[in-house]
Amino acid sequence: MGFTEVYDYVAGILDWLAAGGPIEGTSAGQPRAGDVARGDVPTCGLDERLGEVAARAHAAGWDACVVVNQERVVLGLLRAKELDGDPGSRIEAAMRPGPSTFRPHVPVAELAHYLVDHDVENAPITTSDGRLVGLLLRDDALRAAHGHHQAEGDAT
Amino acid sequence: MTQAAPVVDCAACGKAIDGCELCERPDCPTAICYRCLSVALRQASPDLHDHGG
Repeated sequence: MGFTEVYDYVAGILDWLAAGGPIEGTSAGQPRAGDVARGDVPTCGLDERLGEVAARAHAAGWDACVVVNQERVVLGLLRAKELDGDPGSRIEAAMRPGPSTFRPHVPVAELAHYLVDHDVENAPITTSDGRLVGLLLRDDALRAAHGHHQAEGDAT
Repeated sequence: MTQAAPVVDCAACGKAIDGCELCERPDCPTAICYRCLSVALRQASPDLHDHGG
């Protein structure tokens, strides 16, 4: 077939997608969680105090903060409800530990459907080894899904 | 005295779980387990055979 260099990606196609590898095909154009997630979401560590973290997040215009370790592996999540807790408490005690995380290749329209259905305002997007890519906001996901749907309609 | 964990069934596969994997609510009417959510969002492949063989 004329290919001179061929590789076997042993970890499989799902791992390739989860790592953000490029893809081709009919569904390659649809927006994915990793494209829409906000990489500038505030982060904090386990040992910080909630009051300082909440002030930092609010000053940056956020009502959420992702708790990560030094390798940016997600440990927990502070949504609006947690950020409004006791300012003196340690993050480790205040956070939602082990939140559900999603891979960057997940079609944003499908994730938006679940976020609406379950009334969840945001979701952390991570690589398959747990490193933070960004926080996907439900409104961003809906907007991206709607925009793609409209663009597809215009193209036909 | 310890309190028993609330149990809800996954709406997709029927497995008993402590709470919905997505919203974490123990009383979620459309609760979904980790496995079914991963498969639905194409983060994981479905099992080829129910019996695992």
